[in-house]
Amino acid sequence: MVTPTPKEPQSRELEALLEHPAIWCGRSAARVATRSTGYAELDAALPGGGWPAQGLVEILTSRSGVGEIQLLVPLLVQSGQLAPPRWAAWVAPPFEPYAPALVAAGVPLAQQLIIRTAQPLWAIEQALSSGGCAMVLGWPGPRPGITALRRLQLAAQRGGTPAFLFRPLGEATCSSIAELRIVCEPLPMAQPGVRPGTQPGAQLQLLKSRGGLRSPFSVHWNHGQT
Amino acid sequence: MARRERVASTRRALIRPAPLQTSQQRGRAAPLLPWSAAPTDELPFETANESWLALCGLSDDSTTRAHITTLAFDFSPRVNTDEPDAILLEVRGSFRLFGGARALCRQFVERTTSLGGSLSWALAPTPLAALALARARQQVIVLSRERLVGLLSPLPPTVLRWPEATRQRLESIGVRSLGDVLRLPRAGFAQRFGQAALQSLDRLTGAAVDLRRNHRKAERFRSRIEPSFELQSDALILRHLEPVLLDLEHFLCLRQAAIEALQLRLRHVAPHAETHLVLRFAAPQWQAAACRELLALQLARSVLPAAVISCELRSGALRPRVACSAALWRGSEQGAGVTAGVPALVERLRARLGEEAVYGLCLVPEHRPERASRIAEPALGLHVAGSDQASLTNDIAIRRSFTRRPLWLLQQPRVLPWPLAKLQLLEGPERIETGWWDGAEVARDYYIARHRDGSRLWIYRRRALPHEWYWHGVFG
Repeated sequence: MVTPTPKEPQSRELEALLEHPAIWCGRSAARVATRSTGYAELDAALPGGGWPAQGLVEILTSRSGVGEIQLLVPLLVQSGQLAPPRWAAWVAPPFEPYAPALVAAGVPLAQQLIIRTAQPLWAIEQALSSGGCAMVLGWPGPRPGITALRRLQLAAQRGGTPAFLFRPLGEATCSSIAELRIVCEPLPMAQPGVRPGTQPGAQLQLLKSRGGLRSPFSVHWNHGQT
Repeated sequence: MARRERVASTRRALIRPAPLQTSQQRGRAAPLLPWSAAPTDELPFETANESWLALCGLSDDSTTRAHITTLAFDFSPRVNTDEPDAILLEVRGSFRLFGGARALCRQFVERTTSLGGSLSWALAPTPLAALALARARQQVIVLSRERLVGLLSPLPPTVLRWPEATRQRLESIGVRSLGDVLRLPRAGFAQRFGQAALQSLDRLTGAAVDLRRNHRKAERFRSRIEPSFELQSDALILRHLEPVLLDLEHFLCLRQAAIEALQLRLRHVAPHAETHLVLRFAAPQWQAAACRELLALQLARSVLPAAVISCELRSGALRPRVACSAALWRGSEQGAGVTAGVPALVERLRARLGEEAVYGLCLVPEHRPERASRIAEPALGLHVAGSDQASLTNDIAIRRSFTRRPLWLLQQPRVLPWPLAKLQLLEGPERIETGWWDGAEVARDYYIARHRDGSRLWIYRRRALPHEWYWHGVFG
């Protein structure tokens, strides 16, 4: 790690160079524009203290329904509170999003756009590059190629939109160009303390990040308390 | 008081056709020129401030005529096409835009002469005078009514296109010019040649109002191209459609209109039937480039049975265009019209994936879980889909009652695929027993359960025998 001494002009130049958002040192977090995730534990772990404001985020899960959408609910709510409320696109979700649950969480129903398609990559790219959506939730299907992901990344940068791609855990070993890869797993079951009514949550691990927390950590959500 | 009455009476006399002479006045041979004493500023606005441009010598060819009519709308919104051989435009309002009457006429003539034919034009304060001057090939610009009679006088009466009998009778009494006609006594003229002829004389000189019907523009755009060879590929079809799309844009710009639907009809070599492609726009559209992009997507999606021999473009009904100023910021920047991209996105997605592939959600006040959420048209307008929807989503009691609902709902409840032992019931039961009145009765006890692999499920047990367990939803 570079320890800058402010007396030397070279190190000051180096420091100026390191200000660039694309450069980060091994253990320090990259300076990226972020938006709060709504969960203190997750904010603390992520570089920049929140979800990146644009680019690809991969969320890897062993199966659907382990809490991956719950992670994004605060962001969905935030987008709806902007003036004017901004849209969120759901491309090829595995099940039907259920309106009452969204309403209960405070997600603006009028700004959700659901797209059913057999070509999710194309639809995700279109939604990202249009710049009209605050966020895109995409289920890209099995093993999207590196070229496809690169296209999505460029589209996300062009539109200034974050894309959240949900992929199976088995693809964790595939290389990816996403800025952030998160493994999301349910909290271990049958702990002695788990009783009905206990706060549910998820076990997260940052697989790839620009200087985030390495070790697994858990996030709890106040389910239904809002 | 007396003065006001006098002014009013003068005005009345000028608006109406000049009254016929009474029998006592008949012998006096009053001239036919009732306007000579009228100061122009007392004329009603309509008649005082009109300048009609007539274009004569049009052939019967309907396409040229239609083309010139379209072109005329570039110069004025008031175009009259009732004359079989001419087009009339009221252009007084456009003088300033074109830099004066002379410049306007020059531009109009320049643009029409390229269409061929032996056209002649004239500009005069009344439509009939403009027609008469143009038919006599006097290419003049007359702005004031004082000069009008002097210019009309030498013209032969044939320029008014009166019936043959009238013309012969005029000739037989030695009347050879319009000046001679105007000098005839009014009453005698009306008796010999009829009231209609006298009225047309009044309209010619501006003594009577000449109301002209405005040409109503075609309400739909329709254009067909027949290329000289068969079009094999999408790219070729698009290239041939490009000028037509530009025509469409021009057509819409002239009318300050936009369209919501566009149909492309492709004719194939026999025996294949025509292919019809329909574009529906999420927001009214008028730009050729946007239409082209959507057509390209639509063409890429459809499979054409054979080569194309002709293409026809038909627009849907015209909608008034809602213009909005362009954004100062780009889409991704702060303060930009951030939601502007969404209608275009919906359009593009629907063009390729189909209408039903893109939708929004709405809430239905209903206890049966599968009916509480419904597919809805995306609320693209500024209004949220109905105010009841807004009040529903804001109702805190309703929101609280939904807190035990899963984020994902299966389209159909499935019989529980695992043994119940693999699940741990966390919450429940919540009894939902309703719908007996419409035949889709449900009687279920819902539980929130946790699967051994960690996912949280929404399952229920039917109250009716044999109490099977079903899986209905997944908590995100």
